[in-house]
Amino acid sequence: METRGLVSKIQRYSTKDGPGIRSTVFLVGCNLRCAWCANPEAMFPDKKVMFHQNLCKRCGACVEAADNHAIQLTTKGCEIDRDACTNLATLADVCPYNAYENIGTVVGAEELVERLLRDRAFYDVSKGGVTFSGGEPCLQNEFLEKVVRILKAEGIHVAIDTAGLWSFDQVWPILEMSDLILLDIKAMDAYIHQLCTGTDNRIILENARNIAEKGKKIWVRMVIVPTMNDDLPDIKRRLDFIKELGDSVERIDLLKYHALGIGKYEALGVKYPLSGIGECDEGLIQEILAYASRIGLSIRFG
Amino acid sequence: MNTCLSFVPSNTECDFERIGKLQNRMNNRVPSICPERAEIVTRSFQETEGEAIVVRRAKALHKILEEMTIYIEEDSLIFGNQASVNFAASIFPEYSFEWVIKELDEFSSRSGDYFEITEETKARLRPLESYWKGKTHAEEVLHNLPEINRQAERQGVLHRGGISMSGDGHVIPNHDFVLEVGFGGMARIAEKKLQNPDLTQEQKDYYEASIIAMNGALKYIKRFGKLAMEKSQKETDEKRKQELRDMSKACENLMEGKAKSFYEAVETVYLTHLLMMIESNGHSFSFGRFDQYIYPYYQADLEAGVLTKEKALEILTHFFIMTNSLNKVRPWGHTQYSGGYPLYSNLMVGGMKPDGTDGTNDISYLCLEAMNQSKLPEPNLSVRYSKDTPDDLLKDSAMLIRQGFGMPSLFCDEVVIPAMMTLDLELETARDYASMGCVETAIPGKWGHRATGMTYINFGKIFELILNNGMDPKTGIQLLSITGKEGRDAAYESYDKLWEAWEKALRFYSDLAVDCDLVCDRALKHHDADAFASSTIDCSLERGKTLKNGGSEYDFISQSNIGPSVVGDSLYAVKKLVFDEQVLTLKKLQEVLDANFEGAEGAQVRKLCRAVPKFGNDNNEVDEIVANVYESYLALLPNYRTDRHGRGPKGCRYTMSTSNITSYVPNGFDVGATPDGRLAGKPLNEGASPCLGADREGPTAVINSISKLPNDRMAGGQLLNMRFSPGALAGEENLEKFINFIKVARFKNVFHNQFNIADGETLRDAKAHPEDHVDLMVRVAGYCALFSTLMPEAQDAIIERTEHQW
Repeated sequence: METRGLVSKIQRYSTKDGPGIRSTVFLVGCNLRCAWCANPEAMFPDKKVMFHQNLCKRCGACVEAADNHAIQLTTKGCEIDRDACTNLATLADVCPYNAYENIGTVVGAEELVERLLRDRAFYDVSKGGVTFSGGEPCLQNEFLEKVVRILKAEGIHVAIDTAGLWSFDQVWPILEMSDLILLDIKAMDAYIHQLCTGTDNRIILENARNIAEKGKKIWVRMVIVPTMNDDLPDIKRRLDFIKELGDSVERIDLLKYHALGIGKYEALGVKYPLSGIGECDEGLIQEILAYASRIGLSIRFG
Repeated sequence: MNTCLSFVPSNTECDFERIGKLQNRMNNRVPSICPERAEIVTRSFQETEGEAIVVRRAKALHKILEEMTIYIEEDSLIFGNQASVNFAASIFPEYSFEWVIKELDEFSSRSGDYFEITEETKARLRPLESYWKGKTHAEEVLHNLPEINRQAERQGVLHRGGISMSGDGHVIPNHDFVLEVGFGGMARIAEKKLQNPDLTQEQKDYYEASIIAMNGALKYIKRFGKLAMEKSQKETDEKRKQELRDMSKACENLMEGKAKSFYEAVETVYLTHLLMMIESNGHSFSFGRFDQYIYPYYQADLEAGVLTKEKALEILTHFFIMTNSLNKVRPWGHTQYSGGYPLYSNLMVGGMKPDGTDGTNDISYLCLEAMNQSKLPEPNLSVRYSKDTPDDLLKDSAMLIRQGFGMPSLFCDEVVIPAMMTLDLELETARDYASMGCVETAIPGKWGHRATGMTYINFGKIFELILNNGMDPKTGIQLLSITGKEGRDAAYESYDKLWEAWEKALRFYSDLAVDCDLVCDRALKHHDADAFASSTIDCSLERGKTLKNGGSEYDFISQSNIGPSVVGDSLYAVKKLVFDEQVLTLKKLQEVLDANFEGAEGAQVRKLCRAVPKFGNDNNEVDEIVANVYESYLALLPNYRTDRHGRGPKGCRYTMSTSNITSYVPNGFDVGATPDGRLAGKPLNEGASPCLGADREGPTAVINSISKLPNDRMAGGQLLNMRFSPGALAGEENLEKFINFIKVARFKNVFHNQFNIADGETLRDAKAHPEDHVDLMVRVAGYCALFSTLMPEAQDAIIERTEHQW
């Protein structure tokens, strides 16, 4: 049977996930639960249903169609009891105004590649390519391996955007074929990491070292989230760790936290874990940049 | 001063502060109506009854240039004014006047493109009406227009463009020639020709008229010489005093012959442009390949040590700013087709020379910098590029585009040149193309007619009609029946039958549109017999014929075709829902469309319609259908000839263009709900762009869809307009990516592209609070306009355009 994967979105003319003009494929499912995740639709497993309140015209079509009386029409729009509603996925067809949206498409490797190659001229001229992100793309390793293999045979530059929590032996064949690894370093302290992502970082750091040792090109991405992973000593340790990774690290991006994903949580009927967190303090950013420069790391910010 | 692009000033010869003052004054310019020209032209025509029209028009021009108010704009190095005050629109009663009188009291209260008008002006204009009654171009057109055309207009399928009520414009003079011989030289050519005893009466009249027009132009210049001298004597600022003295000195023999300096060349280009716009109220008088013909003058002055790059920039920027002092007033009905006071004075830089080598030079960069400093709607700056275009020029262009006022628009040589070659041009000639007006393409100095915008054909309306067996549901008018029976019932059995109906109806209305073009052209032959403009175009002086009577070297025209994407998307929706998947009957669909998708059932059907893939998302099936819509029109063109056929010009044929200014908005008013899910009255698609908001797959998918259209046969011009969010171009890296995005067009068969860089929030705020966004300029269609001057519907159409963001 053909290898198939679950994709939440293909972002074309993606400019933030590697060099040149790229297409970023978001694969569904992640083994981390970062409190600040901006792509919850790709974080939680399986297909999902989003409800876009702004499109709801309160016509009542879904109320009628939902089983177990799971949807109530209130003054605020539709209130959905997601546990009770067993036919939620059918409502996208019912709602005349597209307030319900099914997220997640099962796609075959060849079909996905065919779609990605449509932008080949853009990749070629801009020295861009394809980036796999998510979620954690490496969780769908069989599918990913197949897709990357075909893309590489076509001469396309491939980047893998990963959080690094996987079995090295299982994932390395994919990374080995790929041209660039976009690696998140979220925290050094195991406890902070646990608090932020719901999981320990031992394997992640080990995998990072292994990738670097193999000489694979890495772009490290550090997101700083106030009250979560903005402890300066820990950030300095992260930078020290990156420094240790050596020449494999081609570039480091410091990213400010943003709350743009919050609407997606609401649409998914999931509570947004963070609330009322502002932007990262400018002073802290300066301190980070200063420390990085002191230890000889060049960081891109903004 | 505005931050420069790549230009780094190394001396203070370019006074940026003064540019700022001029620019600010122009930004706050007040549109008004000036009665002077109307009065003078009326008096002149009264004096010349019985003479040949070309002579009468030349005498009128001469008289205007002698008598009109002239002024020198404060601070400006460039002189020459079109009307009595800055940004006033003159009236051209000889073309059409009835509407002027009818709308006198409405000019100042229009929802877009308003004009201030004093009671005195009204009182000066009203008495002129009686003289012009029955004599105007518009009346002749109306008189000769067949009844069936009027019916087609009532249905909303055809729209008589500007050519039915005003001059034609659309002239790119042969500036090399004008600068070489001057107005005086042109008069001398005509004088010499007149000595030939074998001339026809038409030729004699033309040469006589040309001499009169050129002498008028020279007198106009001399008047400025005198005025500059007077002003210099009163001027207290030493620098300005000297400038005025220099200006006065230049005027002593400016354009008696060859332009003698860079300054004279730029001033002459401006004057030539301006004089054509006093002679006729056409628009889209364009500058052509400015960097190519100005460069020799620049280079000579640089080498002689009398000019610096900085001074050149100052002169160019003043010239750019001054092109915004000109104006044109149109009837309200036509204004909706072209909102934002557009003059479409296209100015083109870059691209290959006739020999195929790259033509980019210092002037190309300086023009981008002049636009960066002036940031006003005119001139309509365009950049040509090819594989040999320096990255630096594209980078300056991208940096300018990033600032979000819509300029420059970009033309891809690798696509446009093959498109021009479909007109059987020599390769060297095709390589010399320039944009004229919006995105229509022409060969400078060789074209004598508009390359687009003859009669407008509303493709969306034709589609609505075929669903109704040719009957317009709104007016009940039925001019053709698909089934051969009367009434609305068409009941197509298959997609093929529907397609055949489209082809049949398209042919029917295209034939009518060509008839309309002919009626307008025949009237223009008389009413737009313009000796001044004609003399600047190759072959006209040689043949002794005006442009409108066959004076130009080539003659290709196109109509304006509005809504191919709406039609393609709609055809595909019907094909899929009614015929392939059979989830809907045609009858049901029609009921729902009649009800504008209202009610629960309507909403459900609309959902189905909207879910069908749309053009602009790189979907082969629908893209192919949109391409078929283009092919169906292209297939008709070999049947049509222009009025000048057999009278001298090569070609005299039709080509295709989707350059349709803001007509996609008012054309949408006339079209009921369509099967692509578009609601009744909403805009059609703009140019070749996807339907508003239909492109969901990002900009690369749009380009891929566009690439499947027959762009390399669209010799009349193909328009694509995209909107990016500001963030998508922020920073060096994103800029670099954007430049590469532009470059890919070369491999993707993209004729033209232009960009708005504005987020929805800014645009919505600008609509609500125009006073806070006085200088917000947007790309409307093939031109730029200040957002606040557009009517609300056109503003909405820009807001609804998909914003590509990341």
